[in-house]
Amino acid sequence: MAKLFDGKLVITEIPDLLEYLPTTIYLTLVALVVGLVIGLLIALVRMNRIPVLNQIAIAFVSIVRGTPIIVQLYITYFGIPIALKYFNYYHGTSFNINGIPGILFAMVALGLNQSAFDSETIRAAIQSVDKGQIEAAKSMGMNGGQVLRRVILPQAAAVALLPLGNSFISLIKGTSLAFTCSVVEITAAGKILAGRNYRYFEVYCSLAIIYWVITFILERILALVEKKITIPEQPPEDKNASPRKEESK
Amino acid sequence: MSLIEIRGLSKSFGKNVVLDNVDLDINEGEVVAIIGPSGTGKSTLLRSLNLLEKPEAGTVTIDGKTFDLTTKVSKEKLELRKQTEMVFQQFNLFKNRTALENVMEGLTVVKKEKKEEAKKQALFELERVGMGDRLGHYPRHLSGGQQQRVAIARALALKPKLLLMDEPTSALDPELVGEVLLTIKKIAKEGFTILLVTHEMDFVKSVANRIIFLENGKVVANGSPREIFDNPTSDRLKSFLRNINMLQSADDYSI
Repeated sequence: MAKLFDGKLVITEIPDLLEYLPTTIYLTLVALVVGLVIGLLIALVRMNRIPVLNQIAIAFVSIVRGTPIIVQLYITYFGIPIALKYFNYYHGTSFNINGIPGILFAMVALGLNQSAFDSETIRAAIQSVDKGQIEAAKSMGMNGGQVLRRVILPQAAAVALLPLGNSFISLIKGTSLAFTCSVVEITAAGKILAGRNYRYFEVYCSLAIIYWVITFILERILALVEKKITIPEQPPEDKNASPRKEESK
Repeated sequence: MSLIEIRGLSKSFGKNVVLDNVDLDINEGEVVAIIGPSGTGKSTLLRSLNLLEKPEAGTVTIDGKTFDLTTKVSKEKLELRKQTEMVFQQFNLFKNRTALENVMEGLTVVKKEKKEEAKKQALFELERVGMGDRLGHYPRHLSGGQQQRVAIARALALKPKLLLMDEPTSALDPELVGEVLLTIKKIAKEGFTILLVTHEMDFVKSVANRIIFLENGKVVANGSPREIFDNPTSDRLKSFLRNINMLQSADDYSI
């Protein structure tokens, strides 16, 4: 019987696939930052109920959460060039439609998709910050930006860390759909590789290992960050405490 | 001229008038206590001075500088807030910062002081409230009384012209009230100008120079502790004092 499963191939293919890992990471990081920044903006718009923008934000979040990511990738990939064609036609410009690299579409689609989900996480986290502390900061004379940076965001970040970590992990795997925008990241590379020898099953196993290892490393990093930002259970031991323990009464 | 002059302060929530054209003068170094039944705008008066509430009308003159309390200009709001500091009922310490960092926060962020200077100042203030040995503790490691003392240090560090204290001991266990009252007494003696809302009548008697009795948004009585407690002139004040245990006999409780 022919060899149905070539276990050795699973391992030997990994280095070839890793050549495309930078694309996966690059795509992930850009989509992560886009998602967080736009997600924060959406959260702020929604919390301050800024007219018009608030309604747009609500509709955007609903549509993005209500459609599959692969459909969003296709819509971005085909929609932007069509929009650009119209733009060229009506404004007499001549932007090169084919000059846009595929990865840009994937970044836009994945980033916006992340932002919709992140905005809800960020909104919940910000709302969890104690109003009293915000009042205390205001009454000190902090301006809005200082209150946001010094009081709200650090505490909201601690609350949002775990759910955002979750969405970060699913983003990494979401990049495997970027081949729809003709981006060759590790999954696309695996398919191309398997096309040569028809060993699809082996390459998918290799990919599974790679994704899992990346995620595992990320989980460790998140655990470290969590440990760092968690306020310790026990008070510090006072090495240089002043000799008197309590104020004399 | 008084250090603080409040004129025509009015605030209502919907149809409920909480402060009705209140005028109030506070001299430098004075400790003024506001007493009155609940819901009469004692806290609202304090919070309006710090613009945590938005009054409908009113001005405050602090050290010769007049501020419009209805201003919408953020620069003016910040300027006014820097004149006063608030001590809250619930302490409102920054939970993710240590005692030392809590006190340094306003100095470095608002006053833009250098880290070393801010630290020096913060150490001095924490020492003053007897918390010099809890610098690295987070609020969750501290008792309510200790948290409130850190909050007082945080307010003092910014050298406010007027210290606003909104029921600073109301959220504390009875056994922890004493340490906070002692701290307030100490800073009152050091000459800070304080406007205080409290239910601790014995404390008011011993610390306040002047007592304001507020009811239905109006100043009903304004006088020294002796005038207020020993010779109350207003009927409303008399019945209030009776209700809060300054009553004479059990007969006054009619069921």
